[in-house]
Amino acid sequence: MSRLSIGSLFRRPEAGAFLGMVAVIAFFLIFGGINFLKPSGIASWLNVAANIGIIAIPVGLLMIAGELDISIGSMIPAGSMIVAIMSGHYDFPIWMSIIVVLGFGVVVGFINGFLVVHTAVPSLIVTLGTLFAVAGLVLGLSVLITGTTSVSIKAPDFYKAVFGQFIGGTYQVIILWWFAVTAVYIFYIHYTKYGNWIFAMGGDRESARNAGIPTTKLTIILFILSACSAAFVGMCQALLFNSAQVSAGMSYIFNVIISVVVGGVVLTGGFGSVVGIVFGTITFAVVNQGIYFTSFDRNWSSLIIGVMLLAAVLMNNTFRSMALSYAPKKK
Amino acid sequence: MSIFKNVMGALLATATLGVAPVMAQEGATIAIIGGRADDAFFAKIGRGIDDATLVVEAHGGTVNYLQLQTYDNIGGDAANLVRTAISQGVDIIAVPNWVPDAQDEAIEAAMAAGIPVMLYNAGGGDKAAELGAINYIGNEEYPAGLAGGKYFAEHGATNVICVNTVPGAGNLEARCDGIRDGMAESGGVSEQLPLPASAFGDPTAVAEAIKATLLGDETIDGIFTISSADADSAYIGMQQAGRVETVALGSFDMNVAGLERIRDGEQLFAIDQQPWLQGFLAVTLADGYVNYGLAMATSPLLTGPGIVDASNIEATLKGGELGYR
Repeated sequence: MSRLSIGSLFRRPEAGAFLGMVAVIAFFLIFGGINFLKPSGIASWLNVAANIGIIAIPVGLLMIAGELDISIGSMIPAGSMIVAIMSGHYDFPIWMSIIVVLGFGVVVGFINGFLVVHTAVPSLIVTLGTLFAVAGLVLGLSVLITGTTSVSIKAPDFYKAVFGQFIGGTYQVIILWWFAVTAVYIFYIHYTKYGNWIFAMGGDRESARNAGIPTTKLTIILFILSACSAAFVGMCQALLFNSAQVSAGMSYIFNVIISVVVGGVVLTGGFGSVVGIVFGTITFAVVNQGIYFTSFDRNWSSLIIGVMLLAAVLMNNTFRSMALSYAPKKK
Repeated sequence: MSIFKNVMGALLATATLGVAPVMAQEGATIAIIGGRADDAFFAKIGRGIDDATLVVEAHGGTVNYLQLQTYDNIGGDAANLVRTAISQGVDIIAVPNWVPDAQDEAIEAAMAAGIPVMLYNAGGGDKAAELGAINYIGNEEYPAGLAGGKYFAEHGATNVICVNTVPGAGNLEARCDGIRDGMAESGGVSEQLPLPASAFGDPTAVAEAIKATLLGDETIDGIFTISSADADSAYIGMQQAGRVETVALGSFDMNVAGLERIRDGEQLFAIDQQPWLQGFLAVTLADGYVNYGLAMATSPLLTGPGIVDASNIEATLKGGELGYR
């Protein structure tokens, strides 16, 4: 690790994800033209990436630790509806709604984490349960309180500027949030002991616990992070679009997991990186939005998205096996 | 032994009590099948059903609202709900005929079992006549799209994009076809923009797709969305492309945010199929048919398309805030 060489860069866990990202950007540059990399073109996929990315990192960390959280699918509308009902339907100040949104994230995340560590039920099933439970709770309460499933909200300028505004008319402010939380995650995961703990848990939970890692606490914290992140994204969406719906967000479950896997995280845990997840998220967003810059018949978009994502993952796998099988030459 | 007797006695008493009201019941047992509970549109239909239930209960009857859990296999699931209603021995069934190929058989089985059927929300008058259903209450998709297309053309649009977030759904395709043909009558054009499934439910992805489409074609001067939530996204997409002034926005159905846009002059119109009326009329007419043999002479009973624009926005907005519009 002393010298930085081209070879060692290629063997980093995010190398495959990075090259996959470059490849899809090059693809759409060729077929979509330069508009794709003009400021408004960049905003096209960066906005989508930021919304997914904020959730993808904690979900990715959970996957590295060997767990999964699909309850994010209903935490997004929960975040939207809480802020819309509290500050749109009623007139509570937004800061109060934000506390409730994040507080709800803590509660649901804690329930997920607590059930996962204290029962033998797999996290997929536990969070499937909370996915439906939260969706039902949000729907029931929304109809009970407002009589509808769609509530409008007009936030004051300050809160719009911080959570749901366009910078320069094109970039969602949530992009800055994404960059900020990414920096924090990179620091904690790759430069403190907590990161190694997470990787160790994904590798072998028993040994990790025997080595003195507080696996229970860490798992619960990760579930709280993913639930809060999803609720936060939902809240920002409500403030940006001035409207909240009960039934949004389910597509995020798939989109987030795809982004994480394209980013080089192994489904079985123990391998991946925060930067890789960021590249994976950008790749996913580019593939999804790039289509609109090309002249391809739109009816084929899903096919193109599927093929390109597969190509990106395969590329990733090739680099990962190169990285894992590498042994320095003997001098 | 005495305990056994007591238990049996209690059970018998309960059974008798349980049966007695059913025997005494004179009203209709109505089964009505509907969409998902978190579907904003069906929430308004549900409002109408709830209100109509008061009438049914006043006549001594009951309403059983059977809702789909998902839309992944809408035709087959709806057909299964019809069969569930048949097995419950209801007096009448009201059902949207979303996918006739999958549902017709179940609907015919209901009628063969002596249970009359009322079509509502989807299916259309021709289908009701073909199956021998009592009536069709609702909107017809193609004419509604046609009305939207004409309205666009009347207000100066020449190139309208019809944003379809669920490509392949027959009723949505019909809406977009209607828009296209309505535009064509005045020489305008309309193309469909089918979005991939990964964009459904992600407002940013829908907004960005619309923005990119607008940036790619300067001649687009109208955007039509197939749902009210998509209209929220479309407006943001137009804003980002800097085309709010030059592009007219229209949508199928509406929510409060959309109604506020119409009030503030930021959205041209919304096509309203009045879902509350669909739910309310389906149940009250079913009740009247079973109890008193009442039937409407008009067929189909169209609840739409109505157009909500600046001219009638105030009353609509009031209904919207209460969950009726």
